[in-house]
Amino acid sequence: MSFIADKQTLEDLNLLGKYKQQSIFNLFNAVKTAGGEKLLGEMFQNPLNDHEAIDGRSAIFNYFQAKKLSFPFSNEQFSTMEHYLNGVSGNNYPAVLISTLKKKFLDVLIKDEEYQEIKKGLQHTISALNNCKTFIDLLEDSDSPMYDDLLYVKNILVELKLEQLSQESENTRWPLLKVIKVDHLLRTVMKSALTTVLEIFYQLDVYISIAGLAQTKGFSYAKALPKESNILTAVALRHPGIEKAVANPVSFSQNSNMIFLTGANMAGKSTFMKSFGINFYLAHMGFPVAAREMVFSVKDGIYSSINVPDNLNMGYSHFYAEVLRVKKVAEEVSSGKDLVIIFDELFKGTNVKDAYDATLAVTASFSEHRNCLFIISTHIIEAGEALQQTQENIKLLYLPTIMNGSIPTYTYQLQPGISSDRHGMMIIENEGILELLGQV
Amino acid sequence: MLFTTDKQTQENLNIFGKQGMDSVLSLFNRTATNNGAKILEEMFQNPLSNAEAINKRIGVISYLSTVKAVFPFSAEMFDQAEQYLSNTDERTKLSAEKPTLEKKLSNLVAASADQKQIVNGINAIIEIIHELSGLLKNILLLTGSPLNNDPETINIGKLLITEPISLLLQEKPKNKRSKEILSAYDVMLRFSYRETIWQILRYIYHMDVYITIARVAAERGFIFPKALAKEENSIRIEGFYHPQLKNAVANTLTTGADSNVIFLTGANMAGKSTFMKSFGIAMYLAHMGFPVAAKQMEFSVLDGIFTTINLPDNLGIGASHFYAEVLRLKKIAKELSTGKKIFVIFDELFRGTNVKDAYEATIAVTTAFARKLGSVFVISTHIIEAGEILKERCANISFQYLPTRMKGTIPEYTYTLETGITDDRHGMIIINNEGILELLKKGKEIIK
Repeated sequence: MSFIADKQTLEDLNLLGKYKQQSIFNLFNAVKTAGGEKLLGEMFQNPLNDHEAIDGRSAIFNYFQAKKLSFPFSNEQFSTMEHYLNGVSGNNYPAVLISTLKKKFLDVLIKDEEYQEIKKGLQHTISALNNCKTFIDLLEDSDSPMYDDLLYVKNILVELKLEQLSQESENTRWPLLKVIKVDHLLRTVMKSALTTVLEIFYQLDVYISIAGLAQTKGFSYAKALPKESNILTAVALRHPGIEKAVANPVSFSQNSNMIFLTGANMAGKSTFMKSFGINFYLAHMGFPVAAREMVFSVKDGIYSSINVPDNLNMGYSHFYAEVLRVKKVAEEVSSGKDLVIIFDELFKGTNVKDAYDATLAVTASFSEHRNCLFIISTHIIEAGEALQQTQENIKLLYLPTIMNGSIPTYTYQLQPGISSDRHGMMIIENEGILELLGQV
Repeated sequence: MLFTTDKQTQENLNIFGKQGMDSVLSLFNRTATNNGAKILEEMFQNPLSNAEAINKRIGVISYLSTVKAVFPFSAEMFDQAEQYLSNTDERTKLSAEKPTLEKKLSNLVAASADQKQIVNGINAIIEIIHELSGLLKNILLLTGSPLNNDPETINIGKLLITEPISLLLQEKPKNKRSKEILSAYDVMLRFSYRETIWQILRYIYHMDVYITIARVAAERGFIFPKALAKEENSIRIEGFYHPQLKNAVANTLTTGADSNVIFLTGANMAGKSTFMKSFGIAMYLAHMGFPVAAKQMEFSVLDGIFTTINLPDNLGIGASHFYAEVLRLKKIAKELSTGKKIFVIFDELFRGTNVKDAYEATIAVTTAFARKLGSVFVISTHIIEAGEILKERCANISFQYLPTRMKGTIPEYTYTLETGITDDRHGMIIINNEGILELLKKGKEIIK
């Protein structure tokens, strides 16, 4: 079973999407090759849910981060090689011979460019493959987590007799028959082997660029634990996409599986919840996380409800849309899956009184599913006070507001307890609304 | 003074709607001519704030509705006439001289498109003038028509009987005309009397709008409201409903100096928003001098309308829902502080904050509103405790609610206004009906 994260969750956390501004995918998309980008996309689409696989992948990142390597090609160099290797002149030697002879003939006769392109592609590819070889030699240590893959690449490059080829390719006046012979070798005989080499280099591209990113951003690698342990702790967790983001600690366990979050309107509740969700997701990909330390038990998936879209076209009110979302999550939770659930401003689509009743009832029932972890935020602070009486597994946290005269400032640092910041009337007074209405 | 409203209000009431979607405008937008549609849209953009102007327009439309006026022109005529009039190139003037043999021949092979267009244009205008004359005689200027006192109609009537326009009436519309006559008309219509022709066309477009509105009113059974002077401070609207809903339930409401604030309570789906929208749309249309979806309506003219029904959070710029509400309120308070008398609708005031703040803010703001005696407010809320306090503090608040009748666990709604305050809520009933809590409980037991 694959890791569950539905469309709404992916959108709430802004995880995917190359063409979306500030998506987490874009944050990590520092790869050099198109194949690397595709691979990165696949990793984002499919987080892992096996703790050994997760630790295995993060070990590779860690290894490359320690090596401090940089990918030995520019995007252009690599794509010239890809382009060349993806084409083919013929399935066997005679076919290559005829097709190339034809191109040479056209080259001489009407200055057709195809022959020159083949020749140029060939030369570029040989020098690029040479680069590969030098690079692989840097990674020869037997403790390398990609040892087998790299050995495979090395053997192929040896088989090609690259050194001899590259010396010859320096000579600009390459005889026609030589071009045909090498073209046949690279693109027909060795085609599938070289495709594998490319694929391995795509992987290297991803590992090296992500490792480099982790280094510059100060990310670390989370430690995955088996499901049964049911804990999650993170030190100095922050939003990976926000510069100078404020870091907060987070911890969950069997006996403390829910965080009930309050705070004034702009105190940073949503940002905190998104930071948690994003890092949790990244951790399941085996990717570096924006935290100083993080240990987590592997879960089956994540559901968030941060910006529930009204589906007014279908005749739903906002409240009903929220109820349906809660119902969907309730179905998933009660089917026994281990999940992380994030509800921001639960039931904000209804009046305060209904929101109070509903928050209280739903929160208490959810929290009894101890195998799932929850973060629930609300502006109905009265609900927190009531929950405190009955549920000992709910941790109450709030994001404080400090009043600087009449101007609120925010620390973005979690504090235990329930916010007592009620600024509703203060904001109304600051805006001078009652005075405005008093004038005639 | 102009009638003030804003984009949010028009969106709340679905006045213009989104492209291709039904809207209040689209109910009426059935004019024969494109220019009529443009004028109609302008009328929707600019409601009136003067009782006399409103009653005058209502008078004309209601008259056209009673006589079952029909727009006698075909839209095609106007396309031809306008295309013709917009060609102001002197070189295209029709020549009265006999064409040379060479020209005759080339005309025989392929008639010049320009010339054909010009001849068609002239014919279209002649036809339009004929139809207009008939329309004026048979409908617009009959005895008893309010248009007998309309300066523009009188003016147009005069134009048609004075030269040179009267010459056109002597022509038979379908006749073939000689080169000389065509050439003379061309100079007259397209160059010397161009503005006069445009004036006539514009008048017809306005009549297109009025006749269309009159027809829609008759088809849908809308009635014509009566505008009262500002000073009367009262609205009496009987049997009004939402014009876009099928089988909409009608309600009756009166506001006056002793009841200029409506404090509306009711459960989530009891129809508060629909009630408010229906009232808002009726007030908006009435201020345009248009027919409304009601049985009877009298209203004192106000200076503007502001509604807050589905307030969008502006999370992109970091404003929370509560702050968005406060800013909206501030805008309305500013309008009120300039001494304007406005119509205000606020749905679910302060739902973006905690219970205590919402309670305090609702009392403070509603009390302040209640002092603005000339304006009318409709405020819905679930904080019924605020209602109790307001009852003691302000004498001019009218408490209304939309009831819920429980049939077992299934709520039913009458959508009919009753007097008082209700504490009907069924957020929890919806949650229970969806079986969320049982689901979680059952899941828990199975796992154990």
